Amino acid sequence: MFIFGPLFIFFQQIFILITNPINILILFGAVLLGIIFGAMPGLTATLGIALLATLTYGMDIGTSMVALLAMYVGAIYGGSYGSILINIPGTAAAAATALDGYPLACQGKAGKALGLTTTASAIGTFIGMLFLITITPFISAFALKFTSFEFFLLAFFGIIISGNLGSTDLAYKGWIAGFLGLFLASVGRDQLQFYPRFTFGLDELDGGLEVVPVLIGAFGIPQIIQVLKDKVTCGEAKRFQRILPEFTEIIHHFPLIIRSALIGVGIGAIPGIGEDIAAWTAYAAAKNSSKHPERFGKGEIAGVISAETANNACIGGAIIPLLSLGIPGSPPAAMLLGALMLHGIQPGPMLNFDHPLFIFQCGAILLLASFAMWITGMLLCKQVIKVLRIPTPVFMPIVAVLCVIGSYSLGLEIFNLYLMVPIGILAYFLTEMEYPIAPLVIGVILGPMADANLRRALMVSKGSFLPIITRPVSLILVLVIILTVVSQTKWYKNLIRRISEKLFSKKKTKEISSNAFKK
Amino acid sequence: MKKRELRRADFITSVLLLAFSAWILIETFKMPAKDTYGGVQNVWYVSPALFPLIISIFIIILGTVLLVHSIQSDGASYFFSSILKRTKFASEKNIRFLSILLALFSFIYLNIPRIDFFISTALFLIFFISAFYFDEINLLKKLTLFYFIGSLIFIILFAFGISKILNSYYKYFIDILALVFYISYVIYNWIKVKNNHIYKKRLIVSLMASLAVPLILCPIFRYSFLIPLPKEGLIIQMMHNIYYFLKRVI
Repeated sequence: MFIFGPLFIFFQQIFILITNPINILILFGAVLLGIIFGAMPGLTATLGIALLATLTYGMDIGTSMVALLAMYVGAIYGGSYGSILINIPGTAAAAATALDGYPLACQGKAGKALGLTTTASAIGTFIGMLFLITITPFISAFALKFTSFEFFLLAFFGIIISGNLGSTDLAYKGWIAGFLGLFLASVGRDQLQFYPRFTFGLDELDGGLEVVPVLIGAFGIPQIIQVLKDKVTCGEAKRFQRILPEFTEIIHHFPLIIRSALIGVGIGAIPGIGEDIAAWTAYAAAKNSSKHPERFGKGEIAGVISAETANNACIGGAIIPLLSLGIPGSPPAAMLLGALMLHGIQPGPMLNFDHPLFIFQCGAILLLASFAMWITGMLLCKQVIKVLRIPTPVFMPIVAVLCVIGSYSLGLEIFNLYLMVPIGILAYFLTEMEYPIAPLVIGVILGPMADANLRRALMVSKGSFLPIITRPVSLILVLVIILTVVSQTKWYKNLIRRISEKLFSKKKTKEISSNAFKK
Repeated sequence: MKKRELRRADFITSVLLLAFSAWILIETFKMPAKDTYGGVQNVWYVSPALFPLIISIFIIILGTVLLVHSIQSDGASYFFSSILKRTKFASEKNIRFLSILLALFSFIYLNIPRIDFFISTALFLIFFISAFYFDEINLLKKLTLFYFIGSLIFIILFAFGISKILNSYYKYFIDILALVFYISYVIYNWIKVKNNHIYKKRLIVSLMASLAVPLILCPIFRYSFLIPLPKEGLIIQMMHNIYYFLKRVI
C-alpha cells in the first residue's frame, strides 16, 4: 500500500500529460530544440534552458516544466552529435563521448554509435528519473529537521564542493568564484532590515540582481566571446546511412549501463557538479573495469555507452537536491531553479507541502522526455545534424540577440541588460583564467538563503555559534566542509600519500614473508 | 592559457581581489552594526554588514593564498618582466575580442535604449555577422573601424542633445539616421568584397540574417508574448500599423 499510492499518482501524472496534445507538442518541440542546442558547438544546455525560461514565463508551471525539462534532456543528449560526427563536443557533457565516438565514426560506424548513444541516453534519463521520484521525498522529509544553521552550512557546502570539483586549475579558484557569487547576491536591500547594500544609490539595484539575466550573462556572453574569438568552426560531419538501435549490444553492456547511471545520479546529486564530470567519471570507471582498457580512445563502444548513460542519468540526480533542498546539482539545474522562482515556486523541504504533486510531475515529464528524445533521435537525426553546417559566426550573433531579448523580457528592464554584459565579461575572464563558473552561479542563487539563514540562526541562538557543533547535522556538515577544504592542502595530500605508501609497503612485506614461509 | 601566463594572471587577479575585498570591507563598516536603523536597535548578528563581512574575510584569505601561490610559481616575476617588455597588443585575437566588445556595447548601451529595436538589432547583426563571417583580419579591422566611427557619431548626437533637437523636427529622425548607417555599412561592405565571389555570398547571408531575425523576433515578442520592445520607433510603428490594419480587415 505504501508503494501503490505514489505509483498511482505518478501514472496519473503521466496520463494527464499525454492526454494534453499541447503538452505533447511542446515536449517534442523542446526535445528537438534541445538536441539542436546540444549539437551546436558553443551552445550549451544551460543557455538553452535560460533562453527557454524567458519564453515560458507566461505559461503555467506544468507546461513550462515540460518545455524546460525536455530541453534539458534533449540538449545533454544532443551534445553527442558533435562529438561523434565532427569530434567537437556540442556540450562539455559530451566531451568524453568524443574520445571513442569519433574513432567509431571514422571506422564507418557513426550510425551504430549514434544509435547506441540515443538508447543509452534514454536509459540513463529513465534511471535518473527513478531515483528522482524515489529519493527526493525522503530527503525532503529529512530536510524538514534542518534549522537555519543547517541551511546556511548547506549553501556554504554547495559552494565549497562545487568549487573543489569544478576547478581545472587550483581548487580555491572555485571557492573564489563562489564567494564572488555570494557578493553579487548581497547586492540590494537585505531581507531582514531592508538596508541598501552596494547599490551605489541606484534604485534599480534595490531589489538585488535578477537571477536569470545574471545567469544568461554568465553562461551566454562568455560562450559568444570564446567561440568568435577563438574561431571555433565545425568540420565536415561524418556520413552515415541509418541509426541502428543495437539492442544486443545494449543488453550485453547492461551492467555497464547500470553502473554508469548510478555514477551519473550520484555525481548529479552533489551540488554544482555538472554532467561533464559525471560522464568523465563513468568513462574512467568503464576503462578501469574493462578487460581491454587499451581499446579505449580507439573506438570502444563501452566508452560511448558509459559517458552517454552517465551524463543523462545526471539530470535526474541534479534535480534531487534542487527539489528537496533548493540547491541545484548542476549548472542547467541552477537555471531550472531560476525558472521555478520566476513561477513563484520555491524548491526545498516545503515543496512537498506547497505542491505535493510536483516531484511526481517532474518524474513523469522526465520519463516522457526520455521517450521523446529516443523517438526524435531515431527519426530526425539526419535532419538535425544539418544544423552543424550553419557557420558559427552566423548563429552566435543570433544567440546574442536571443540573450538580450530574453533578459529584457523578464522584467521589461533595460537595466537587466546593463548588468548582463559586465557580468558576462567578468565570467569570460574568469573562464579564461580557469575559474569555474558553476560556483559563481550557485553563489548568486544560494546567497540570499545563506545570508538570511545565518542571521536568523544567530538571532535564535542570541549570537552564539555553539549550535553549529551541538546539532548533529550541522556538525556533520561542518566536518565535511573542513575535510573538503583540508583535502586540498599539500599537508593532507602528503599525509595520504605517506599512509598509502606505508600500507602498501606493509602489504608487500607481508606478501613476501608469507611467500617465504610457504617456501 | 599557458601555465606561465596563468600564474601571471593569478598574480594580477589576486591583487585585484585583495583591493576588491578591502573595498567591500570599507563599505561594510559603513553599514549599521550596533546603532539603530529604521527605528530598530541593532545587534551585530542581525546587522546587514555580517554577511558581506564574512564574504570579504574569505576573499581576503583566498586572495592571499592565490597571491602567495602566484609569487612562489614565478607569476609575479613574469608579470614584472613582461611589463618591461613590449608585447604586441594588436594580435588577431585581441582585435577580434575588441570587435566583439564594440558590437555588444554599442548594441546594449547605445542603440537599444535610443533607437528602434528592429533597426538596432539589424545594425548589430549586420556588423557582428559580416565582420566575423568573412574570417579575414584586414576586413575585420576595416569593418570594425567603420562601425566604430558610425557609433561615435551617434554617441556625439546623444551626448550633446543633438538627437533631441533632430527628433523635434521629425520624431523618428534618429531612427532614419540609424537606417542610413545600416545602408551605408552594407554599401561599404559591398565595395570591399565585390571582387570576391565567396565574400559576396557571405555578405548576402549576413544581410538576410540581419533582417530575418528581427522580422521574426519582433512580432513574436510584441504580439504573441505581449512584450513591449525596449524602444518602439519607425519600423515597429510601421509593424503596428500593418498588424492592426490586418486585424481589422481579417
